[in-house]
Amino acid sequence: MALYETIFILDSLLPPEEIDKQVDRVKELLETNNCKVIEIDRWGKRRLAYEIQKKQYGYYVVIEFDSDGTAPQLLSNEFNYNDKVLRYMTYRFNKNIIKDRAKSELKAAKETKELEEKIDEKEAKVEPVIEAKKVETAEEGKETENEKTNE
Amino acid sequence: MKRPMNKNTRNGRNALNKQMDKKNFKIRRKRVCRFCTSNDIYIDFKNEKRLVRFLTEQGKIIPRRTSGNCAKHQRQLALAIKRARHLALIPYVADIAR
Ligand SMILES: [Zn+2]
Repeated sequence: MALYETIFILDSLLPPEEIDKQVDRVKELLETNNCKVIEIDRWGKRRLAYEIQKKQYGYYVVIEFDSDGTAPQLLSNEFNYNDKVLRYMTYRFNKNIIKDRAKSELKAAKETKELEEKIDEKEAKVEPVIEAKKVETAEEGKETENEKTNE
Repeated sequence: MKRPMNKNTRNGRNALNKQMDKKNFKIRRKRVCRFCTSNDIYIDFKNEKRLVRFLTEQGKIIPRRTSGNCAKHQRQLALAIKRARHLALIPYVADIAR
């Protein structure tokens, strides 16, 4: 099993329900063939850098999945047959991509940790202030008591 | 940012050569791989704005001798550009209006 990603461009002139249907269709196709869909990312309507089938805009969908080696063939069969798909590409994640992701995840984890530490520090700072106030009030109370005794 | 490798080659050149360079007004651009300096492991083809910087106006890939990329990153960049072209993120050929 390895990580793959497929990107396909649907005709942007299709009604939204039809686009949802097409995305679900691909998802089901993957799931019925022992692939684990990890993430579906819809980029939405974008301008194409050049015309494809006389169309200037396309609806981009990215699906990340975990599968054995049969998935690319399966998807290309599906997309070649489907004329609502303008363009597609399936590729396997190489070691660089995986390393890069691990690195960015580490960085994100570090940042969240730092944030949590900062929050902890803030909370720690807030508490002594309250204590100090208490002390002050206590002293004031003493002073008033002293005044009373003086009288 | 100068990389140590470049520095060594500069120092390796003899003084006469340097003088010749000055005489001929040869301008040598410092060759630095931008991906190495930014410590990138992976060049993403989805980020087309980054790729466009390594294309000519016509949409050709700028050669390594001009951009200064290292061989490893130029290979990765070429792959990323070809993938981006296929998905119509960047053009194969950009028309220049005459
Ligand atoms: Zn490099």
